[in-house]
Amino acid sequence: MKRMILLFGLCLSFMAAGAQNIFVSKATSITFFSSTPVEDIEGKSTTASSVVDIKSRNIVFKVSNTSFQFKKKLMQEHFNENYIESDKYPFSIFRGKITDDVDLSKDGSYTVNVEGTLDIHGVTKAYQSKANIVVAKGVITARTTIRVKIEDHQIKVPSIVFKNIAEFVDVRISATYQPKKS
Amino acid sequence: MTTKPFYFNVVKCLILLLLVSRSLTSYGQTELEKDLENTAPAHEKVSATFKSTKLINGHTNETIYKHELDFKVDHRFGDIAGSNGGLRQFFGLDNSTDVRIGFDYGISDRLNVGFARAKGATTVQQLYEFNVKYRLLEQTTDDYVPVAVTLFGSNTIAAVKASDDPASATAYRNLTDRMNYVTQIIFARKFNSSFSVSLTPGYVHRNFTAFRDQNNMFSVGAGARAKITKRMALVVDYFMPFRNKDDEAYLEQLNGVKFYNTLGVGLEMETGGHIFHLNFTNATAIQEMQFIPQTTSSWLKGQYRWGFSIARRFSFDKKKDKRS
Repeated sequence: MKRMILLFGLCLSFMAAGAQNIFVSKATSITFFSSTPVEDIEGKSTTASSVVDIKSRNIVFKVSNTSFQFKKKLMQEHFNENYIESDKYPFSIFRGKITDDVDLSKDGSYTVNVEGTLDIHGVTKAYQSKANIVVAKGVITARTTIRVKIEDHQIKVPSIVFKNIAEFVDVRISATYQPKKS
Repeated sequence: MTTKPFYFNVVKCLILLLLVSRSLTSYGQTELEKDLENTAPAHEKVSATFKSTKLINGHTNETIYKHELDFKVDHRFGDIAGSNGGLRQFFGLDNSTDVRIGFDYGISDRLNVGFARAKGATTVQQLYEFNVKYRLLEQTTDDYVPVAVTLFGSNTIAAVKASDDPASATAYRNLTDRMNYVTQIIFARKFNSSFSVSLTPGYVHRNFTAFRDQNNMFSVGAGARAKITKRMALVVDYFMPFRNKDDEAYLEQLNGVKFYNTLGVGLEMETGGHIFHLNFTNATAIQEMQFIPQTTSSWLKGQYRWGFSIARRFSFDKKKDKRS
């Protein structure tokens, strides 16, 4: 019986160690910019969520499309209804991996490559990007920008507003991770 | 006795081993996604039940957003067919039964105030309308709130010169006589991304009417919108007033007309900020206080007409302009 307790304790400690690999960012900020000479459009969500496993270096981002806030509410309505079609595609998801061999359990500042797939508007496309990561006292902050060609995700822009919406949209992501509480 | 605990120990060890091995292997992508916070907000509000604050004749549950100005021009032409229509009248385009130019402003996302000037389709003309629209309840995607409820109220003042005939609808003695009130409760539900309906019980009070015409009248309206493409939709609405049968028969006999319920069908086009309506309706008037109690033209007699409305929304919200 003593052996059993010992084994159980050992197991628990392993599990705890396992959970420490998982870092969660609750209030992840995702902002996109479309800039044309006619109009600048900016949408910002601060309720996206992200999880990173610092051991496998897998990383996932997920955002509710209706959570993007715009300067003009009517733009927000158009974004959801006509472009991103939130009824059909409620979430945008990035599933990727940090390809560089970094140990994010150690404090420091890192520039890493991230590769993965981005699912927007029901179309999944491969992306590669550089990200800046800062680790300090068990908190990981990460920042990156990816450039999305909206046509790649089959988001159609009618000719009447073609001049108002940029062909490429810059998506800025900023996340602050805490160890997952198990 | 000793074999049994041993057997249990083996099973327990195996389970523990499984747990240990699970905790040692790093998370895969699908495992990671389970740790994601639920990013969808609770009781999320349904947006764009309708695209415009009006369907054809009636109001929708929609209001414009805070600091927005909605400029809208409505037009109703003459009868397309029937005795007053046809090629001679260029299918009604030679005549205009009513024109309305209106401005609505969003005090908040829920509260709108509006001002409009309309020609007026009956003898009650030169109308000035003041209105208030308040979004009481919004439908949510999880059906926590299954229907949207919006309140609409208007006061329309007729500026037309008072008639000397005391039995006429315009024999006004003072300003109070010229006032007309409309109250409506608009219930609406968006069933899916392309189909919405509305139900509008309402009450019209006219301070002064023609002899034996009703000052007070309850009515009910129904409307629907079905999207045919991403930016085009079919819209339809119907209004039915509840009349006093005796008064109705008297007025119909006196004026040689019949009262009809209004039916409108139309095409709605949206181009990011602009909304165009192209519609057909038997109602000659645009104001609620007029088309609900005073429609005397019938679809079956060819007394339907072209109508259009053009709406443009301007946003004056500069607060969030600063980039963070």
